[in-house]
Amino acid sequence: MKKVQVIPPDDYPQMVSKSDAAKMARALRSPETAARAAKAIQQQSQKLQLAVHDYVRELENAIGNLPLVFEKAHELRGFAETAGLRATGRIANGLCRYFDSMEKLGATPDHAVVALHVSAIARTARAKDEAGRMSDAVAKELATLVAHKLAETRAAL
Amino acid sequence: MSGSAFGVLRVLVVEDNEHMRSLLRSLLNSIGIREVHEAANGTAALEILREKTCDLVLSDLAMKPMDGIDFTRDVRQSPRSANPFLPVIMVTGHTERNKVEAARDAGVTEFIAKPVTTQSLFARIGEILERPRAFVRCETYFGPDRRRKAQEDYAGPWRRHGDKQDLQVL
Repeated sequence: MKKVQVIPPDDYPQMVSKSDAAKMARALRSPETAARAAKAIQQQSQKLQLAVHDYVRELENAIGNLPLVFEKAHELRGFAETAGLRATGRIANGLCRYFDSMEKLGATPDHAVVALHVSAIARTARAKDEAGRMSDAVAKELATLVAHKLAETRAAL
Repeated sequence: MSGSAFGVLRVLVVEDNEHMRSLLRSLLNSIGIREVHEAANGTAALEILREKTCDLVLSDLAMKPMDGIDFTRDVRQSPRSANPFLPVIMVTGHTERNKVEAARDAGVTEFIAKPVTTQSLFARIGEILERPRAFVRCETYFGPDRRRKAQEDYAGPWRRHGDKQDLQVL
């Protein structure tokens, strides 16, 4: 007979006692904790934005090298938004999703689509998201373009 | 609650992006966690775990030479693992279904999709503290129960022949 052993939480070591765990979980939901965390992010934001700019330069230099473009875009989608560069993160996310979709289809990403995204990422990062509405519009347009290109690729397969 | 309760926790952050490591460290420090160890990949993380006791791991997925999936598998299954029950939160931008399933099958406890928000990070830590998952050991898997909810009153059919009689709660 094959056996499945289920080990309940009480039967293996926990981080803290149940009563402390409940108190700590409540503290994690408190507005004071959220405020302290927001302050921590705020204190890091300038450093993070400088890092985003470094990644953007590397991304621009990577044009033509699709795996490297994906790698850099992936890093940007990871923390550009946390750095306060929402549109940059959103467009980087759109580019990564385009890469993922094309990989699933077994197709090579279109260089023009990639280049448009890279250009938009660079512009929004350097504009520091000041032109928020404009950046959102660009992100939406690029998402539409990606949807169109994916449909085109699927139809051609 | 003062930060002192969190002061007892020791956390390992495994992430190849130094800026993300720094951000996660700051967020953990903001709730009073003082002992935060950092590693840039799974191999370095395993070395730290051999030397230090940790209560929680935040790990990226894509890293070289060892990624977060192999790292988690080692924590769960290696005979040298100091704590195979160690909670592992995977913080990743890779949210494709195959990657998520591979990480889940390696024994990841919780997921956070990048970009990280304080709400998502603290919610997952709170979940592990308040509602720790049962662990399951079978021929092909050791790790947190992959079913989210145990339905005590489940009356429907078991998915696999022999499920019920094979289940052994120890």
